Amino acid sequence: MAVEVRIPTVFRKFTGGSGAVEVQPGTVGSLFEQLETRYPDLRGQVRTPDGQLHRFVNVYVNDEDARYLEKLETKVTEGDTVSILPSVAGGQA
Amino acid sequence: MSEAGDAKEPTETLILPAEITDEMIEHCRAGRPNEACGILASQDGGMVKVFRMTNATLSPLRYSLDPKEQFAVYRAIEGRGWELGAVFHSHTHTEAYPSPTDVRLASEDVPYLIVSLADEPPSVRAFRILKANWTDQEGEIKEVSVSVLR
Ligand SMILES: [Zn+2]
Repeated sequence: MAVEVRIPTVFRKFTGGSGAVEVQPGTVGSLFEQLETRYPDLRGQVRTPDGQLHRFVNVYVNDEDARYLEKLETKVTEGDTVSILPSVAGGQA
Repeated sequence: MSEAGDAKEPTETLILPAEITDEMIEHCRAGRPNEACGILASQDGGMVKVFRMTNATLSPLRYSLDPKEQFAVYRAIEGRGWELGAVFHSHTHTEAYPSPTDVRLASEDVPYLIVSLADEPPSVRAFRILKANWTDQEGEIKEVSVSVLR
């Protein structure tokens, strides 16, 4: 069993349209490494060029916000689901 | 500046059932004086459900989804085999057209519906915000035709 990563619509143009991608267990950071290796255009989209989580991106490991866990160091094991969510916001001014 | 004339001609149509449209407008009215926001779920391209969501910014001029609520809604959508169909929000006093802030903060690759409460009955228009990179400050506004099934 692998780890499932849920990809939001904004990044599906980089994953060939896939909304869910399977990767190997590790840390959240290592999952992003795997994704960026498989989908090079994803590099710089979820993480900033210096490797930090983009401030407009939220990551959930199962039901927990990774920001309140150990962020990119959070351990992810087989059967876990990791969800990537972009901030959704705007306004008339 | 964004002017209505800047938008590219629509090549896509969003079909909205009347009850979905009415519920979305009702949520926008109920949110006054603040902007209101939410998500529409789709199935096979048709809009099937309104998720009324909290404006975490609690502002008449800005909106943002609460990330935890957004996560819960996304899970609910996936759980039912639906898809993210559209994002909607209200403009309380301005036209139903994306503001520079709407363009700057646009993220998801779905139509963004805007309900203008400046008109009575409220007007509903939809747009895609096309950006080379989702974090770009500027983008191209492409209108999506809205067809309400009454
Ligand atoms: Zn707006």
